[in-house]
This record gives sequence, structure tokens and C-alpha cells, in this order.
Amino acid sequence: MDWDSIAPILVSGIVLGSLYAMMATGLSLIWSTLGIFNFAHGVIMTLGAYVAWQVGTEDGFGLGIAAGLALGVAATIGVGCLIEVTLVRPFLGRANVVLLAVITTLAASVFIENAALLTWSGRIKQLPPLIAGDASILGVTVSAHEALIVGISPAILIALWLFLKVSRTGRAIRAVSQNRDSALLAGMNVPLLYALAFGMSAGLAGFAGILLGSIRFISPVMGGEPMVKAMIVAIFGGLGSLAGTVGAAYLIGLLEAVSVFVIGLYWTPAVLFAVMIGVLVMRPTGLFGRK
Amino acid sequence: MTPPVLLEVHALEGGYGGAKVLNGIDMAVQEGQCVGLFGPNGHGKTTLLRTISGLESPWRGDILFRGRRIDGASPRHIVSIGVIHVPQGNTLFPDMTVGENLMLGAYAPRCRRGAKANLEQVYELFPKLADRRGQLCRTLSGGERQMVAIGIGVMGDLELLLLDEPTLGLAPRLKDELCAAIGRLTASGLPLIIVEQHIEFLLDLSERLYLINHGEVAMSMAADERMDHAQIMNMYFGEA
Repeated sequence: MDWDSIAPILVSGIVLGSLYAMMATGLSLIWSTLGIFNFAHGVIMTLGAYVAWQVGTEDGFGLGIAAGLALGVAATIGVGCLIEVTLVRPFLGRANVVLLAVITTLAASVFIENAALLTWSGRIKQLPPLIAGDASILGVTVSAHEALIVGISPAILIALWLFLKVSRTGRAIRAVSQNRDSALLAGMNVPLLYALAFGMSAGLAGFAGILLGSIRFISPVMGGEPMVKAMIVAIFGGLGSLAGTVGAAYLIGLLEAVSVFVIGLYWTPAVLFAVMIGVLVMRPTGLFGRK
Repeated sequence: MTPPVLLEVHALEGGYGGAKVLNGIDMAVQEGQCVGLFGPNGHGKTTLLRTISGLESPWRGDILFRGRRIDGASPRHIVSIGVIHVPQGNTLFPDMTVGENLMLGAYAPRCRRGAKANLEQVYELFPKLADRRGQLCRTLSGGERQMVAIGIGVMGDLELLLLDEPTLGLAPRLKDELCAAIGRLTASGLPLIIVEQHIEFLLDLSERLYLINHGEVAMSMAADERMDHAQIMNMYFGEA
């Protein structure tokens, strides 16, 4: 194998990894802050793509893709907060909150998926690329849109990391995730911080959905597969660790690209699950996780 | 003339889920006073502190701070009036540094102005923490962790401090060091409610003692009546 056949695999892996990183970071943020798993994460991604399509394209309101992007992200942040307040908050503090949240967020995902089907029908749609034209990564020609994904995902994740590390609110979100009682006793508004974490996570998913909506097709079920991948990534990386999740995202992205090239699309999900199970057998806290 | 009452608790009942722990507690703290709570484990001392600080909602009865009712208020509100609870066996924010933990103690908007001076006071009280300000709290020893916990309390612009078994499980030398630091805090006139099993320390520190038994105040006494160890043992176990 020479460079000319390896490079496209690498680039495809990096593009996938960038999207997975945004998706999985959101899942991981909710897990570490609220201690639950959000099964509506994938469908929130779908919703972001649909809202952007509705607002931005000529078949919808025709306000341009920038407006679509902004409103798509805003809508998903709002839906994320709404899910937290109505479907998660009533159960926080109960012993079986993890299971209850699985059921309620799964219900939300069925509800939103079917609402999307009724609103936009099952016919597939596509967003125009955020930037037109081509670009070159590692000597491989890709669309400028894909290059944008590769660049903007790390930028957003670094901004998120800085926010959590330095800002007062970001520190408070980390504090709540580490010790809820102490956070309450320091006078933090814990319910608000929970809604904020959920909203940020949903906004990341919505943004990823909008980016994905112009390299793949938009359909009511488009979030399902990325959701499974994000789940694999978040568990693989060690739930709750931001750096671990991002590292795992690129690793899984590359693995997927290689697997698609070597053994084909059909068996690739099985390979990813097998790798995840193998890692968890040897390191139950995830590849980069801590006990 | 007695100083004005700071905190009053009337016929307080409460608990967790269906289990009632507090069966009508009455107690009071005056301005500048240190009050000690003692008694067997599992009889409501910790629950009482958690209910005062708003972590648990009271079922019945009321709590007044400077004459205003605070029972049922959110912990955030109670922190904002300067009532700070340092819980038992506090694990702090383990993945943050000592410095970050202390600064989070000054999270409430009202504390930000005084944060710098308070931080200096904490480092003066516990010079060891100044050396460890960049260290993650998960790597601290039990004694150092307790110092950070008390430090977080001091950062909150204290009007009343609630301390839950600060010396629990510590080596004797560390115990003495912490007791001395708590003594310095109260000597400056800081009102304190402290739960402690280390009875001699409690007798030295407090002006009033409450024996909590079966979720009730079984006995209340001024500490200057100077009981001895044997009398306390009698209270725990009944007359021999």
C-alpha cells in the first residue's frame, strides 16, 4: 500500500473523528454532570439538521445557510434544556434515576423522530455545504465543507475545554459533576447548571447534525447511527473525560475508515463493537478512563 | 445581659424519604457563641445540620436566622446569608486543585469581594495549604482534606459555621492541629455549631452543649458547669 491509497483513508477517518468528537463530548458532558445517559442525543442531532434546512434552504424559508445554522443550533439548545427540565429533573435524586432517564430520553427520541417524520415527511433532504469549493488535506482533495469540519471541531472543543477550565460557570459545572452536595453548599444554582450542561450538549449535537446534513442525507432516522458511534466513543474513551473522549473519537473514526476500506461497510459496525467490548474487558473504565 | 439570638430551631422534625430522624429538636445559638452537639451515631446530629443548611427539607417546625425563617429555603439562599455547612467526611471537588476548591467556596456573588482577604486568612490558619495550593484534592491526606473543607467554609464570608465531625478518623497529632485552628476561628468571635465525638475538645471549645438522642435534645447544658468525662459517659450509656 502506498501513500496515495492510505491518505484518503486517513482523511476520511479524521473527518469522521471530528464529527464523533462533537457528538460524544456532549454525551460525556451530560454523563459526568448529571450521571445519566441521554438517548435523545441522536435525534437532537437530526432536529438540528432539519431546522437548519427549514430555515436556510430555498425549499424552506430561504433565509440562507448562516441563519439556518444559527437557528438550528439555538433550537437544539432549547430542546436540550426542555428535555432536562421536563424529562430528567423530576427524577434526579431517585435511586433509579439512571434507568428512569434511559426510558424518558428514549421516549423523547421516539417522539421527536416521529414529529420530524410528520413535519418534514420521510423524503430525504440535503443541506448545501457551509462553504463551497474544494480544499486539500494531506494531499487529498476534499470538499471545503469537510475541511471546515476538520478545523472547526477541534476549535469548538478547545473553546469548551477553556470554558470548563477557566470561566466561573464552567468551573461550577465541573464542581457539580464532582460533588453535588458540596456544590449546593457553596451556593451554586445546581438546577440551572444542569440545564446549561444539557443545553450545551444538545447544541453540540445540533451543530454536528448540521455539518453532517450536507455530506450525508437528512432523514428522520439520520441521528441513529451517529448516536451509536458517539456512545461507543464515549464509553471507549472513559465516560466523563473530555480529553479521553476526543482521543477516542479520532481513534474510532480512523478505525472505521480503515475497516470500511479493508473489510467493507457491512461488517464495520461489528468490528467497532468488538473493539469496544475488547477494550472494556481489559480496561473496564475505558481506554483513557480512571477508576 | 445575653447577646441576641442568631439561630433558633423550634420543634424541628425531618428525615430522609420515609424515615423520620428528627423528632422535634429545639435549640438556639447566640451571636458569637459556640455550640457543641454530641451523642450516639445515627441519632440525628448530621441530619440536623443538613436540614439547617437546606440540603434536606424539614417536615415540620421552623428554623430562624436573625429572626427570619429559613426552613425550607434553598441551600443557595442559606449560603447567601452566610450560614456555611462543612459536611462530614467531605470529599471536596477531587479533580480540582486546593486553590480552585477554595475559590469555589467564594462562589456566591456576595463573597467575591472578600475572597482575597479570606484566602489569606485560610492560608494563615492552615499554612500547609498554601504550599499545596496547586495540588489536586484527590491526592490529599484526610487531615489536609479536612483543612480544605474548613477553608472552603471560611471563604464563604461566614456568619455562622456548621462543622460536622471535623476530626473524624484523623491521627492524634493532626487532630490537635485542627482543634487548635478551630479554636482560633471561634476566638475571633465566629459563631459555630460543631458536631464532635472528641468530648474534651468539645468541652474546651463550646459554651453550650446539646446531647442529641433519638432525634431529640436529651439534655442541654452550659459548658462552664464543667462536667467531667465520667459524667458524659453516664449520659451516653446511663448511670452505671
